[in-house]
Amino acid sequence: MLKSAFTPIYWVLSPKPKSPKISQHFITNTFSNSTPHVRQNSSSKQNLTITPSSAYIHLPFCRKRCHYCDFPIVALGSASTQTHDDPRVINYIQWLCREINATKVEENLDSETPLQTVFFGGGTPSLVPPSMVSSVLETLKMKFGLSESAEISMEMDPGTFDYRKMQDMMLLGVNRVSLGVQAFQEKLLKSCGRAHGLEEVHEAIDIVKKCGVENWSIDLIASLPHQTSDMWEESLRLAIEAQPTHVSVYDLQIEQGTKFGRLYAPGEFPLPSETQSADFYKMASRMLCDASYNHYEISSYCKKGYECRHNFTYWKNKPFYAFGLGSTSFVGGLRFARPRKLNEYMKFVENLENGSVNSSSDDDVNTKDTALDVVMLSLRTARGLDLKRFQESFGSSLVYSLFEVYKPYVESGHMVFLDVQRRAIRIEDINNSLLYDINSERRVAYMRLSDPNGFLLSNELIALAFGVIDSWKDYPSALQEAT
Amino acid sequence: MGYLRKASKTLNQSNCISLLFNFNFNLTPLTSRITHQRFSLTRALFCTQSRQNSTKEKPIIDLSQYPPELVRNFSIIAHVDHGKSTLADRLLELTGTIKKGLGQPQYLDKLQVERERGITVKAQTATMFYKNIINGVDCSDGKEPHNYLLNLIDTPGHVDFSYEVSRSLAACQGVLLVVDAAQGVQAQTVANFYLAFESNLSIIPVINKIDQPTADPDRVKSQLKSMFDLDPSDALLTSAKTGMGLEHVLPAVIERIPPPPGKSDSSLRMLLLDSYFDEYRGVICHVAVVDGALRKGDKISSAATGKSYEALDIGIMHPELTPTGILFTGQVGYVISGMRSTKEARIGDTIYHSRSAMDMEPLPGFKAAKHMVFSGLFPADGSDFELLNHAIEKLTCNDASVSVAKETSTALGLGFRCGFLGLLHMDVFHQRLEQEYGAHIISTVPTVPYIYEYADGSKLEVQNPAALPSNPKQRVVACWEPTVIATIVIPSEYVGAVITLVSERRGEQLEYSFIDSQRVFMKYRLPLREIVIDFYNELKSITSGYASFDYEDSDYQASDLVKLDILLNGQPVDAMATIVHNSKAYRVGRELVEKLKKVIDRQMFEISVQAAIGSKIIARETITAMRKNVLAKCYGGDITRKRKLLEKQKEGKKRMKRVGSVDIPQEAFHELLKVS
Ligand SMILES: Nc1nc2c(ncn2[C@@H]2O[C@H](COP(=O)(O)OP(=O)(O)OP(=O)(O)O)[C@@H](O)[C@H]2O)c(=O)[nH]1
Ligand SMILES: [Mg+2]
Repeated sequence: MLKSAFTPIYWVLSPKPKSPKISQHFITNTFSNSTPHVRQNSSSKQNLTITPSSAYIHLPFCRKRCHYCDFPIVALGSASTQTHDDPRVINYIQWLCREINATKVEENLDSETPLQTVFFGGGTPSLVPPSMVSSVLETLKMKFGLSESAEISMEMDPGTFDYRKMQDMMLLGVNRVSLGVQAFQEKLLKSCGRAHGLEEVHEAIDIVKKCGVENWSIDLIASLPHQTSDMWEESLRLAIEAQPTHVSVYDLQIEQGTKFGRLYAPGEFPLPSETQSADFYKMASRMLCDASYNHYEISSYCKKGYECRHNFTYWKNKPFYAFGLGSTSFVGGLRFARPRKLNEYMKFVENLENGSVNSSSDDDVNTKDTALDVVMLSLRTARGLDLKRFQESFGSSLVYSLFEVYKPYVESGHMVFLDVQRRAIRIEDINNSLLYDINSERRVAYMRLSDPNGFLLSNELIALAFGVIDSWKDYPSALQEAT
Repeated sequence: MGYLRKASKTLNQSNCISLLFNFNFNLTPLTSRITHQRFSLTRALFCTQSRQNSTKEKPIIDLSQYPPELVRNFSIIAHVDHGKSTLADRLLELTGTIKKGLGQPQYLDKLQVERERGITVKAQTATMFYKNIINGVDCSDGKEPHNYLLNLIDTPGHVDFSYEVSRSLAACQGVLLVVDAAQGVQAQTVANFYLAFESNLSIIPVINKIDQPTADPDRVKSQLKSMFDLDPSDALLTSAKTGMGLEHVLPAVIERIPPPPGKSDSSLRMLLLDSYFDEYRGVICHVAVVDGALRKGDKISSAATGKSYEALDIGIMHPELTPTGILFTGQVGYVISGMRSTKEARIGDTIYHSRSAMDMEPLPGFKAAKHMVFSGLFPADGSDFELLNHAIEKLTCNDASVSVAKETSTALGLGFRCGFLGLLHMDVFHQRLEQEYGAHIISTVPTVPYIYEYADGSKLEVQNPAALPSNPKQRVVACWEPTVIATIVIPSEYVGAVITLVSERRGEQLEYSFIDSQRVFMKYRLPLREIVIDFYNELKSITSGYASFDYEDSDYQASDLVKLDILLNGQPVDAMATIVHNSKAYRVGRELVEKLKKVIDRQMFEISVQAAIGSKIIARETITAMRKNVLAKCYGGDITRKRKLLEKQKEGKKRMKRVGSVDIPQEAFHELLKVS
């Protein structure tokens, strides 16, 4: 019995007929009565019944482009802090609202879900006058509804807003601020081309606190050129002293086509070495955890209860709308990227209006692709991959293969297997076959990357799972058997 | 005179060697002997068909006008690059077989590898017709000048392909021994001369490239005299480049090479020279009709297999397949007989008329090719095994001098252990697999076949170091390694450097003499493994390219050999095991380990790279663990991009070979080839 429980797992499971479906859990937390079947050719008509409850709004304006940035932005010029009469902004907001209006509402069979989260990203959204933000929010509300308790986040840069503007934004409903501090050193801010200095950083923090924004984040960038370990420690310390409820720590990515991309090569001076950069990551994890922030995702830390709800939409692979230049939505199983150039974007909006394009899809969704997304996204979080749900959607043979591939990495300390109570399973027990019996109390219920060693090598580790999913051949038969 | 004695001495010696061969090839798999075939190329096929169409309008060639007296069969032999293929071009043009200025130079080098490397790899046959007007005998008799049928075989010069030369000579009564007027007699000149000499062929010395400013034909003449006892006045002086002196070549062929000796009135006996597989026409055999005649529609039988066939199409290579419907005594041509596989067409086989097969005596045939080096061939991507299998099957139809056996490696999966005539041969085989069949391969370090003798008296021939137990149960009482007799020809100022090199390679001097005042001729016995990989390059580099080198295989000798294992995180990698001489084990071990440290990427774990003899570690390096590989920011739209990145990373991993937990990039295996 022991033996058969071990290889392959679905033998043990098959007596219980389970319908092979892409679990709705991965798409939404709400259960739905219809559970469409995965078709043999690894595609499914899944998640068509799920209404997105999140919206991303891209506000692309910046005073100038930062040296590391390759986002679709519109640089207005360094002097532009007052934009209420800038025709470029007015014009863009109009197109944006037109896009929102022209978008097909994804209808739920049961009820309409009003938006639960809205995220203004950029660009520098805080450059946009509150009146225009208001019209965007109004448009959203008319179109999709907006929950009373919705999380409305906005990325705000030091030097682009004052007390008044902050208050106006709050009156409109903005209740979460993501403050783009990046560094607490004048020299570093300059060298990465930020449009603000250190003084404005302190001012901005004061404003946010004075206005009583309860839920706010400081964003920092690690591994900047010429950044020393002392500087990094200082940034972390000052961020902690400001007592935000959330800290995001990004790692500088050298992107092609950016100024940094032309100047620097990763791992080479003046960029920190791989070892230094790893130490920065570990330092952030240690200092922030010591200051009782939870490291709940690879680059996100928060005080208890202050996770960014909007970002969880992404990490749980739930659908979301997106509007504006270069933004990507995930509706009806389709990741749809809008044009990154303004004139092409306007053309797109026109086509959307006259019905010649559609930003959502009701095409079949590839099961393998979904599995890849689910694994990639959930392993980035501290919660990790929920194996029960994963198994329900993709079958137990795939879960079993993941066990096999990750087992050595539990021993090496890169992965952690957790039981139902989220207690780490001891290495000595890792070969116990009962752990893989889905019915066992002591089973492995979650797998996650360890903090910080596993997170640090997340690309390597996730690529291993990709290898497993890539060579996952037996899903049709496994699913057939179940049907 | 002294050298002539040498010639006969070598002759005796090589008789012994061939006995040895016979012993040895009993060990090699049967398939290696029965499938000597020729290549085919779709490109070549195209040429074939289009040329054939254009010759269709020409009247069918009547071969009955060419009794043996009017037939001459000869090979062109020489050292590498002395101009054999270029000379063949000129002769084909001179006889109107190919049009002057049309087609590529070295017309007979048809393979892509041959063209890219500028060398001949396959012997190629072409039939020419030539009206001999200057022939003194014919004219003085007052007779009409005769039309002759001349069959030319262009052969490769490189030592790896000397087997092609031996085979070609079996269809000939004479040779053109081409010598570069500036370079003079070189190592393969000596080797090829003796091949012809042993076969009792008429030898016409041709001193070529006399157009070169550094040409010194007189010196070459005296070398030919002193080395081979060839009369200086017999030498022809030519330039295959400018055409100078070419008019004397074919008359000399007619005059000095005897006609084929076969009996026209006997029953048919023909020698199967070569065969290859053509997608459209099936197996095409090249044959030399020794006795009797072959007509279209004849029922023929193979002496080796006893199988019978019908001669469906018969003709000559003129220079492409040209049907004649008949082949007479002494003529060389092709036969298509509905054989299904080149395995049925055994090189060296005798073919008779089925009706007379019972009471016929088969021709001597050829000695089998000897495999000097073995290496494992694996699909670069594990899933491509079927493709590689198919490619190897096809290619061995046209290059049967490769032996093939299935092999399994824990590191590389399913593959093949292949035997080659030499390293160039191996290289060419790899290149052809890639170019002609699109197979991507990983090759393991080539090894020579060793013999291990154990305390219980059992012997093991080791073609694959991995197959040798690292900690054997039985005590090893002796190891034997193959040796070669190497011929080295160098300008005398390099003698010191060359002697140093050769003794580093455990060489034993057998002979040392002067070709002339400036050139030295040396013979050495060397372990085969010492010359297999980089010896020739070394030799060339220390002699500024002036050395020439040839070898023939010789006896096994007792040797102090050890198996060197490579371990990654303590796990031996079978495909990286080698057998080395004890005295070199430490150096080689170090080099291998250092090389691997360079080519294996850092991974999540620390990796130890070790070289070991038995359980003793002799070299060690550590590859430190990777510290960080993370994409910190991952938001909505970004997901697609990150996923692509991760998928790329996964693809990279997939192409790696895995031993235990260590991913080995394919380059690691290529890099190891460079350490001897
Ligand atoms: N100057 C000069 N160059 C020549 C002459 N004959 C050949 N060559 C050149 O010598 C080189 C080698 O010629 P090949 O005909 O390929 O020599 P090969 O003997 O067939 O070479 P392998 O088949 O590789 O042994 C080519 O670059 C020819 O162009 C000649 O008479 N004079
Ligand atoms: Mg040639």
